[in-house]
Amino acid sequence: MQNLIMGLVLFVFTLSLYLFYFRKDKSKLSKAFKKSIKMFIQNSIRIFAIFVIIGLLEKFLSKEAVGNFLLKFSGLKGIILGDLVGAIMMGPIASGYPIAKYLFEHGAEVGVVSAFLLSWVMIGTISIPLEYKDLGKRFTITRNLLAFFSIIVLALIMEVLL
Amino acid sequence: MKDKILSFLKEYTLEIIISLIAVTLLILNPQKAYLGIKNAFFTYLNLLLVMDSVAFLAGFISEVIPKEMIKRILGKESGIKGILIGAILGTLMVGPAYAFYPFFKEMISKGARVSVIATTIGAWAIKVPWIPFAIALLGLKYVLLLNFLVFIYAIISGLIVEYFVNLK
Repeated sequence: MQNLIMGLVLFVFTLSLYLFYFRKDKSKLSKAFKKSIKMFIQNSIRIFAIFVIIGLLEKFLSKEAVGNFLLKFSGLKGIILGDLVGAIMMGPIASGYPIAKYLFEHGAEVGVVSAFLLSWVMIGTISIPLEYKDLGKRFTITRNLLAFFSIIVLALIMEVLL
Repeated sequence: MKDKILSFLKEYTLEIIISLIAVTLLILNPQKAYLGIKNAFFTYLNLLLVMDSVAFLAGFISEVIPKEMIKRILGKESGIKGILIGAILGTLMVGPAYAFYPFFKEMISKGARVSVIATTIGAWAIKVPWIPFAIALLGLKYVLLLNFLVFIYAIISGLIVEYFVNLK
């Protein structure tokens, strides 16, 4: 639902930009239009492929399995594993919160759960090729490596504070 | 023609691999795989409006918006203000960040600071619409602290990513 609202807001905004500019310079606008169509087709293929992976992962990787796997670990090892597992998880984080709750109910440490949740929203292993293509090698490598190691630190901070 | 096929294969290697995985799973476990792919279609439809708007916005920025304007608002000279705009924008946005990558690419080539874009992506990890749900499951203190840390991290990480991207 929120995606639809967001889409609608963006759509109206973009449409009004085009309409507003229509009288000023049609040739520039038609260039922009052609470029956009090409971009849209390309993005559609790439992003649909990601959705297929997410859809398959959701069906083949049960939430209990993920939770039970993480419950086996604690301490720094648990945090690193939470970090790694979270990086593989994709899709809306809303499906991550019930797993986190399940983990807490079964006595998991704050650090492990936090690393898992943080990594879920901060690192997307499956979207890395996309990031690489659009934002470049250095950007992608630095951002994801930095996120991976910072999540360990943030998880430790959470552990200490709570 | 042969060149065209080759460049298509190269451009979409990952997507072709994913299709092959999907077909294999469809053969091995049709029921589950079918449901997964059906979900992918629904997610796609759900985000269709976001994706076409992002493409048209990126196209518009690339052809119409003058470079100076982007530079002034989100470039080097924007300073801490540009970074804060990125952090707040990233916090408020919903939907997957990768759907917006083409837009970010266009912004950087138009003069937006790398740190502003990296901070925006960092703050994207805060999902405002889901916060009430998260609080209901995990508690107020935990959720607020986690998101507060992410916000601070987004700003710091933006500067670090920029440093390494600009490193000669």
